[in-house]
Amino acid sequence: MAEHSRFLALLAVAVAAFALVPRLGGDYAIGVALNLLMWIALTQSWVVLSAMTGYVSLGHAVFFGAGAYAMVLCFGSLPFWLSVIVAGAATGLLALLVGYPCLRVRGPYFVILTFGLAELVKFVVINVEAALGQFGRLLFGGPGLAQIFYVVLVLAAVSVIVTWFVRRSRFGAGLRAIRENEEAAETLGIDVARYKVLAFALSAIVPGMVGAAMVLRTTYFEPLDLFNPITSFTIVSIAIIGGGDDVPGPVYGALFLVLMQELLWANWPEVYMILLGGLLVAFVLGVPDGIHGRVAAWRKARG
Amino acid sequence: MSLLELKGVGRRFGGVVAVDAMDMTVDEGEILGLMGANGAGKTTLFALIAGNLRPSAGEIRFRGRRIDGLRPDRVNRLGIARAFQIVRPFAGLSVLENVAVASLFGAGRERSIRRAEENAFEVLEEVGLSDRARDPAGTLTLAGRKRLEIARALATRPRLLLLDEVMAGLTPVEVSEALQMVLTLKERHGLTIVVIEHVMRALMRLCERLVVLHHGVRIAEGAPDEIAADPRVIEAYLGRARE
Repeated sequence: MAEHSRFLALLAVAVAAFALVPRLGGDYAIGVALNLLMWIALTQSWVVLSAMTGYVSLGHAVFFGAGAYAMVLCFGSLPFWLSVIVAGAATGLLALLVGYPCLRVRGPYFVILTFGLAELVKFVVINVEAALGQFGRLLFGGPGLAQIFYVVLVLAAVSVIVTWFVRRSRFGAGLRAIRENEEAAETLGIDVARYKVLAFALSAIVPGMVGAAMVLRTTYFEPLDLFNPITSFTIVSIAIIGGGDDVPGPVYGALFLVLMQELLWANWPEVYMILLGGLLVAFVLGVPDGIHGRVAAWRKARG
Repeated sequence: MSLLELKGVGRRFGGVVAVDAMDMTVDEGEILGLMGANGAGKTTLFALIAGNLRPSAGEIRFRGRRIDGLRPDRVNRLGIARAFQIVRPFAGLSVLENVAVASLFGAGRERSIRRAEENAFEVLEEVGLSDRARDPAGTLTLAGRKRLEIARALATRPRLLLLDEVMAGLTPVEVSEALQMVLTLKERHGLTIVVIEHVMRALMRLCERLVVLHHGVRIAEGAPDEIAADPRVIEAYLGRARE
């Protein structure tokens, strides 16, 4: 229990510190902090499915985009916060529906399937919009930047809490057993099909809500941006840089990536993508267990 | 009433009959040995009982209840645990976590992580792995992994334990230790056990009754000394003597 109270205390301090950003900082600081919180929320959610069960999703942009689309459809008829909740429910439901067939395949097949699913949903949305005579929607009169920031802050905190408690629960033990050897897990009495689908749904809810909040930041809905595969790739990159199947990994990874983006973009804009790509390669080759793995090893060495 | 009952159980893979019209009963509290050459269908039979494979014919009853066609996790929850011939440790988890998972699920379904870890530690003490509890399971030797396989099966709190060649690849000293361990576990937990072994010494020492399979068919059944003298068994293992 001491472990839980220390975690919750640390989380409360972090949330309080972030809550001060809109009061003390300008739009630039809010933007950077919002970016950081968004990636933390997305990657924590991804970890519940992919780091814990080993089913690597390369299509989490689908939930971000579907959540954004749910917000677009609710926009003007429901209050902001209610639309965010509707978006989370919708993406959770979407994951429950597609999860059972998708999670029957493993390894690279699952990776490609999730990627394909995200592209499929993207083009369905584009065609639905075209059929409705919509080509990009403007979303005027939505909440301001600070309000979006607070919603994403809450979502980031929720995603951290979910990862923490799943990782330390009976459910999480089952998920990690599935990752290590699915056949053995099944033979020890774990209902693997149900557990995988539940993990999939759990990992879809927060990204849907984040997408719903973030679409209002640009005040413009464009499916190609919101279902952008780069979002999925970035989530996986952050998880790899951060490392592990617990809360610290995505936090380290997101901090590293967002700070690097800001630093490189500000100083060397012309070679920014080259430097970022080089850093990713160096990480995968040199630090396969991620920042979390290195920090844990360093702590152990110090006793 | 027998604990486990197989009636006319068969399994074919395409044109190949792996197990054919198998009748077998296992009584509460006994240790039954399954023997037969490679490819005789022993492991397939375990997979059919544990739910990893569906029988193409026949029925399997456990404590009177039909279990054929049930998923492996359902079968395990009813009280049948299988230790695999090819060990399947959760290599990235610690030895303790491996066994704690089994305690959290299985027939015991312990709800608390802390109590599951306590149970797991007790089981590890019984199989002699408690000093390795915090190490990653991937660092164990083969003998250690075989013990872990048994520990995990045991932590699901089974009534019936299926042990598939848990002595194969061990040194003679390790085999003796493993034999003693299996006998002790059986007494302490009131288990019924079916063992597949190639090590004849192990079967002779453990089992009151042996069933011999050959090409998916049961060719003999009886006490170990009867089996050792049975001409059909000798023929299946060594071939027919020339006239």
